[in-house]
Parts: sequence; structure tokens; C-alpha cells
Amino acid sequence: MNADKTDKLIAKAIRALPYRAPSAGFRARVMTAIAVQSAAETWPARVIEAAGLLVGAWAAILIFSAGALIYVNFTDIAALIIQPGGLTHALNLLAAHAAIVLIKSGTVLSIAVELARANFPPLYEIAIASLACAGAVTAVSKGGHTAGQRI
Amino acid sequence: MGETEIEIIDRCLGGDNAAFAGILAIYQDRIYGFCLRLLKDPNAAEDAAQETFVKSFRGLPSYNKKYPFASWLFRIAHNACMDALRAGNKTVSMDDENFSDLPDKAPGVDLQVAETLDSERIEALLASLPPLYSEVLLLQYREDMGPAEIARVINAPEGTVKARLFRAREMFKAKLAGLAADATV
Repeated sequence: MNADKTDKLIAKAIRALPYRAPSAGFRARVMTAIAVQSAAETWPARVIEAAGLLVGAWAAILIFSAGALIYVNFTDIAALIIQPGGLTHALNLLAAHAAIVLIKSGTVLSIAVELARANFPPLYEIAIASLACAGAVTAVSKGGHTAGQRI
Repeated sequence: MGETEIEIIDRCLGGDNAAFAGILAIYQDRIYGFCLRLLKDPNAAEDAAQETFVKSFRGLPSYNKKYPFASWLFRIAHNACMDALRAGNKTVSMDDENFSDLPDKAPGVDLQVAETLDSERIEALLASLPPLYSEVLLLQYREDMGPAEIARVINAPEGTVKARLFRAREMFKAKLAGLAADATV
């Protein structure tokens, strides 16, 4: 019983303890720290947003340019597609261009990587890349005709 | 009627950083007082309180409104204080909870002494307890939290909280008895 009463007295005494106030200017310091942190956190987000906008704008320009090209060459494209086997030819032509671009970009990339390591690519690598590029172009444009001739 | 905590939090989450001043107005004395009683150093307590508010602002999106905001905030304050104590090489080991010097049962306390306790003496008695024990007493009595809520604040099982509260009270009573004995000599 005595213990119970002591417990209650302790509880009462601790409950009655006053809160303590920090020094003057504490709130302003916290708000400043929050503002600084907030600004620091929004900076990368804005960069990412700007990058996103840039990519979006670039994609829009590409789509617009492609649309303009199709519009300008619409009669040629239509003629190509309408003629028998024309669609296949067009696809072959597209595939050939894509292969060339792919192999070129692969070679350019590997050279760039080598250059980034401050070493020029060994000659055999350049030779292999050139051979692969030529082989792919030959395979796509069967018969030795150029893509332009086949159209 | 003023804005509720949840309304203030919603405004903060909506990008109104200045609204956080409302949270500061409600909690700054409570959090600072809590930190001060654990760290026993005004500068360290201000640093811990500031860290608490800055971290809570940053962590607002993760606050679960199902639970009281106070216990979430006090949990951040608890972590800040424990970090500060560890940084100051003060023992906060969770393992060291067996008090060989603590009697099985606290000696009887002269009620007259207990009844005349002023806040200064209580502060001194609380300060003489290890932070792990003064903390649970403060959370229970000063902040009106139950064992389940305290368990969330200190990230410990409810059973541990109850055991810690019991030991804290026993230690407090033992020290109080010592005080009474000194007074009678």
C-alpha cells in the first residue's frame, strides 16, 4: 500500500515537471535547416526534371522530322509499298540501314571505350569490326545490288 | 480552433514548408525537455532536438497516420539522443539491465519526504538514473504514454518496456529512500 502510494507520488511528481524551452532562436534555426535541406533535395529533382523535358523535346523533334520526311516523300513511299514485293524491299532497306548504323555505332563505341582507357584499339579489333560490318551489309543486300538499285 | 497536427502535416506534405513551424510550436519544448533530461547538456539537447525536427520533416512522407504523431516524433528524438550518448561514450547498452546493486524490493519511503518532493529534487533523481530508465519514466508519466506506445518509441518489445518501467520505479524509490535517510541523519 505504501509502495502504491509512493508510485503515485512519483508519477504525480514527474507529471508535474515543467517542459523546458530551448534557447531563443531555436525555431528559426530549425526552419532555416529545413529550408536549406529542402533546397538541397529539390536541386537534383529539378535537374532530373530538366533532363526529362530535354529528352521529351528531342523525341518530339525526331518525330516531327520523321513525319516531315514521310510527308515530303509520301508519293515515293506509297509507290514503293504498292508495287508487288515493295513492302519487303522497303523492310530490307530499313534493316540494311539499321544494321549499318548498329555495327558502326558498336565500332565507334568500342573505339571510344578504348580511347577512354587511353589506349588505341589493337589493329586486329578494327579489322574484325570492319569485316563484321562488311559481312552484315553484304548479307542484307544479297546479290551485290545496292539498296538504292533494288528499289 | 487552431489547426490540427494532421492538417499541419498535410500542408507540409503539400509543399508548404513554413507550415512545419506549427509542429515546432507544439512540440519544441516537449522534445527539447525530453532530450535535455536524457543528455543532461543544453547544447547537446538542442542539437538532438534540432536533428529530431529536421529528420522528422524529411521523413514526413513515411509517417503512418494510423499511429500518434507524438510517438513517431519521440522515436526520432530517442534515436537522436541514443546516438548522442554513444558519440559521447556514455553507456546505453541494452544488455546491462541487471542491477546487482538494486535491492529486490525498494526500501520503504518516508511518505512525508515523498510528498515534499519539489521539481528540483525530482529532476536530480531522474538525472541520477541511467538514460534508459529515466526515459521510460518520462515517457510514461510526463508524456502520458502507455507501454505499447513507449515500445514503439524505443523500438523494444512491450515486455521489455514493462520490466524497464518496474526497475526504473524501484531504482527511483531506492534513491528516494536514500534521500529520506540523509534527511533524517
